[in-house]
Amino acid sequence: MYRKQVRRRRAVLTLLIIGSFLLLTITYGQSSGGVQRGVSTIFSPLQSVADRALKPARDTIGWFDKTFDARGENSRLRAELVTVRRQAVAGQEALSENVQLRKLVALDRGPALAESVYEPVTGRVIARSPTVWTSTVTVDVGSGDGVKVDDPVISGDGLVGLVASTEGGSAQVTLITDHASAVSAKVVPPGVQGAIRPEVGDPEDLILDFIDSTKDVHRGQAVVTSGWRAEGLASLFPPGLPVGEVTSAPIVEQEASQQVHLRPYADIANLDLVQVLTGGSRG
Amino acid sequence: MIVTPKIFARLAAIAILAVLLQLSFFSRVEFLHTSADILPVVVVSLGLLGGSLTGAVAGFSLGFLVDCLLVAPLGGSSLVLLGAGYLAGLFRERFDIHSALVPPLICMALTLFAELGFAVMQVMLGIDAPVSILIVRDMALKSIYAFFLAWPIYFGLRRVLRPALVEEPKIMRRRQPTVLGRT
Repeated sequence: MYRKQVRRRRAVLTLLIIGSFLLLTITYGQSSGGVQRGVSTIFSPLQSVADRALKPARDTIGWFDKTFDARGENSRLRAELVTVRRQAVAGQEALSENVQLRKLVALDRGPALAESVYEPVTGRVIARSPTVWTSTVTVDVGSGDGVKVDDPVISGDGLVGLVASTEGGSAQVTLITDHASAVSAKVVPPGVQGAIRPEVGDPEDLILDFIDSTKDVHRGQAVVTSGWRAEGLASLFPPGLPVGEVTSAPIVEQEASQQVHLRPYADIANLDLVQVLTGGSRG
Repeated sequence: MIVTPKIFARLAAIAILAVLLQLSFFSRVEFLHTSADILPVVVVSLGLLGGSLTGAVAGFSLGFLVDCLLVAPLGGSSLVLLGAGYLAGLFRERFDIHSALVPPLICMALTLFAELGFAVMQVMLGIDAPVSILIVRDMALKSIYAFFLAWPIYFGLRRVLRPALVEEPKIMRRRQPTVLGRT
């Protein structure tokens, strides 16, 4: 009797393991299967309800966590404020100069302002992946709201990610901190171009890779999407979306590895309301 | 564990509730820059209560549900969680749980096992980005959180599944034997 039980147990275990490998083999590399879409559609209203019901509890714990962090951040922010004030004054000057120059050369709205063709759809984050290996969130707007795969997603602070798959009332967003993410970007003001890649396990740190090592990049400089367009191909992100700020740019690393580190502007860990930029051109 | 239709319904409700809580609450709450992962804790608790078969099936089902909801490649989480559930069940079948400290410690150890499993799975599937050393801190903190979360989860699940448990030790107050001639 006991032997029979053991045999049955082993058989079920073997079946489950084989089933897992089979599922992995069949579904790996595909964006979304019918089963996943169905389950996701059924559960998205439940997730929405759970998200709203649990928000007060989440906020309470978040408050404690932020209070711990705030003590250390205070001095850093004071130092940043001085730098930003200087930059704001310089920016005002640049703006007035820009207006004058535009009048002079009669510049039209060029491709740099192409983001105006996008129609933002506001959504709320209702779920988040549990491991740091994959960085995805689910938002409560989907194909029914005009959201399509590869639509850029932003928060009030900056770029957040890209829509990976859509269902009727929800969409999966691959965040810029996901290992599969890559964003073409440039450092402003020098205009050094590169590709932003994440560092898995550290959502506060992004790497601007493949930069021109002959141009100097400094700590505190802003990084925005470059939004390139060439030979019928175009970046999935509109140009000029703020992504982050350079936090470390050692000359040695710039010259040897052609990369600098940056911190994303968007609070990736505590996303709540986001905007999906729908209706943009796709290459 | 004796799985009647009523108990099966309870197990299904536990699985759905655990996944919803994880995705909508625990994944989105960070403490010391790390969020807790209750799914290994739930699977290990079910394994400790119901045995290796229950643990493995629970792990597979929870993993499948999570992968479905996150539109991730199916099977990855299932494989890792079924391993954790099976090992927990195996422990329960081989050893007696004498102390209330044992389930949280096992949850902690098997959560670390599951986190390492997720890492191995991800490495096998391919990572297109450099990996930070902070991942080690994340794994360690997740295991510590699992230790503390295991208390309410394990004892809560034991209460919910009490009618189905085969060898549920009854907590009885020991009374001093009455001896004649004494009060």
